[in-house]
Amino acid sequence: MSSIPDEAEITVTGLKKSFRNLVAVDNISFEVNRGEIFGLLGPNGAGKTTTINMICGLLPATGGTIEFHSHKIKKIRSVIGYCPQENICFPKLTCLEQLVFMGNLYGMPPKQCRSIGLGLLEMLGLIDKSKVYARNLSGGMKRRLNIALALIHNPRILILDEPEAGLDPQSRVMVRNFIKSLSKEKTIILTSHNMDEVDRLADRVAIMDYGKIILTDTPYNLKNSIGEGDVLEIEFIENPVGKTDKLISDLRHEYKVIQSGNSLIIIAVHLIDKIHDITSSIKDEGLNIKEIKLRENTLEDVFIHLTGRMLRQ
Amino acid sequence: MKLLSIIVKSLKEQWRSFWILLLTLSMGPFFMFVYYLILESSKPHYDVAIINNDKGYITDSESINKGEEYILFFTSSVKDSVNMPFSIKKSSSRSDGLADLKNKKSDAFIIIPEDFSKQLIEHKNSESTGSVEIQFFGDLTSVNYLLSALWANETLNSFIKKSIGSGDFIRISETGIGSSSKISDFDLIVPGILIVSVIMLMFTATIAFVSEVENKTILRLKLSRITTFEFIAGITVVQLIVGIISILLTLITAAFLGFEFQGSAAVFILIAVLTSLSIIAFSLIIAALTKTANEVLVVGNFPLFLFMFFTGAAFPFRSEGLFNLFDYPVSLQGLMSPTHAISALNKIIIMQMKLSDIIPEILALIILTIIYFFIGMILFRKNHMQLK
Repeated sequence: MSSIPDEAEITVTGLKKSFRNLVAVDNISFEVNRGEIFGLLGPNGAGKTTTINMICGLLPATGGTIEFHSHKIKKIRSVIGYCPQENICFPKLTCLEQLVFMGNLYGMPPKQCRSIGLGLLEMLGLIDKSKVYARNLSGGMKRRLNIALALIHNPRILILDEPEAGLDPQSRVMVRNFIKSLSKEKTIILTSHNMDEVDRLADRVAIMDYGKIILTDTPYNLKNSIGEGDVLEIEFIENPVGKTDKLISDLRHEYKVIQSGNSLIIIAVHLIDKIHDITSSIKDEGLNIKEIKLRENTLEDVFIHLTGRMLRQ
Repeated sequence: MKLLSIIVKSLKEQWRSFWILLLTLSMGPFFMFVYYLILESSKPHYDVAIINNDKGYITDSESINKGEEYILFFTSSVKDSVNMPFSIKKSSSRSDGLADLKNKKSDAFIIIPEDFSKQLIEHKNSESTGSVEIQFFGDLTSVNYLLSALWANETLNSFIKKSIGSGDFIRISETGIGSSSKISDFDLIVPGILIVSVIMLMFTATIAFVSEVENKTILRLKLSRITTFEFIAGITVVQLIVGIISILLTLITAAFLGFEFQGSAAVFILIAVLTSLSIIAFSLIIAALTKTANEVLVVGNFPLFLFMFFTGAAFPFRSEGLFNLFDYPVSLQGLMSPTHAISALNKIIIMQMKLSDIIPEILALIILTIIYFFIGMILFRKNHMQLK
């Protein structure tokens, strides 16, 4: 993971966005430091895309401020590279043609656009598709081309909305490594509802839900905040509501326990030694176990801990 | 630089939308060819059957048959008339002549009586004041019969006056203005169809604007530093080229079908450029109000039909002027730019007038183009390019 310089690149203060009666972003504040990868994590509809649209200048804020701290920045759009959630490319242009075209629109000379474009296609594994029309690319290739389009004008700030969405495992690793390599010279904001993606990439994470930022910290600190150790997920055959009150009460003397739907999530150190005792207690309550999973805790556990519900709910 | 990029990109995309381009460019020549076929197949033709029963008149030195002479006179009188093509044939008998009428093989049937020569010569020599009966047969409700009988009667009167040495009391002289004395129905429709070929630009131009919205690539343009004006200007240049090619292809088709281009080529190009620009500008308004190519095909049909059928492009259309502005009639149809373009083309390539004669039309085209572009640009910017 790259080091986090202290100098702030972007400061968001009291940012709000309402669409009539719907408050999409509700008074959020955070800072993104120069050269760091900052993750906005949250379920669909949490307000992540609305937030970055406001940062990109595509959406005016209802309230609050967004400050870009580089004094050299005159035209904000020139220093921001944006890869939207949806794959947006010019279907009747080849990969290289659209990179050159977009570079030209940012005022770059064609030769430079061509050279940078070829470099980006090489790095993103699309060099053999440079003369292929975008409409003929697969979904994963289009995703990579979209990342290239966001970078053609060499922006200082890169904003990636769900960068790994729709990618196959191989492409996912390639894109992840590529984003990591960029973090040395660029400030990156990425949004995702994929905990693993953010956990692996981000230096710091802001967890969003219902338009608000619940917590901001490094992934390590966030995971530690709910306790070091393991997570035991126990899924019941039937809905255990009403039957688990005594069980949870007993277990909470020793562990952190969260009930989520048909599952019970138990967090503690060295849980492997305690599985037998826990399952015996469950059976004593007359509950039937469908599946047991034991793993290290993740950002998803943090989210569940903070919101009391699963990310996908 | 950015404008050039948009032009190059738009050119590539237009070329790669090959079928839409082909459809647009072929519509003008196609309409020209269809109109040519319609006008050729509906061209009037008049068939007159005649029986000459005239027994002639024998003088000391010669035998005269005025019936035969009249038939020759009639034939030679109508043979050079392009717009009134006559066929004159002799029938062998009265019954055959009536049968041909019933079977529509002839439009009029004329019987010249036995004493035609005798009566004519005696009348000339003032030996007789009697009259001869020339019988006309035909369907009285048929326009073809009326025209055939009218011409037969007219030539008969001329022939008799000539035969008896009586001069004409009046002489009519007819002078066509410009090329109108030489033009055919097909020539008359050419200016309108030339403008139709430019009106067809409405689809390619609107789709060129809307495709960025439909593909959502407008987002990339918004993120870049391109202005609404640069974006619209880039597409306009490419569509203007398509419009000029389209009208030239249509003109070549017309020439191939027999149309003779008269007037100034430079003024023709000026009218073509202004009309193309006005159609592109109107397309921008449609693009501003739609989001997909499908919507364009639905919404775009309404102005397309208005432009084609209420401006005189596809059919001659006489509009009532609401008032005159510096002697130039202003009508509701005048709100549609093709009205002025057709008027200007008629004056240039049919009437062989000069640029100075079409100043009102040129001004109207310029003003309408500016208004269309102004409305289109504001709406397009508001609906598609403005931050929301």
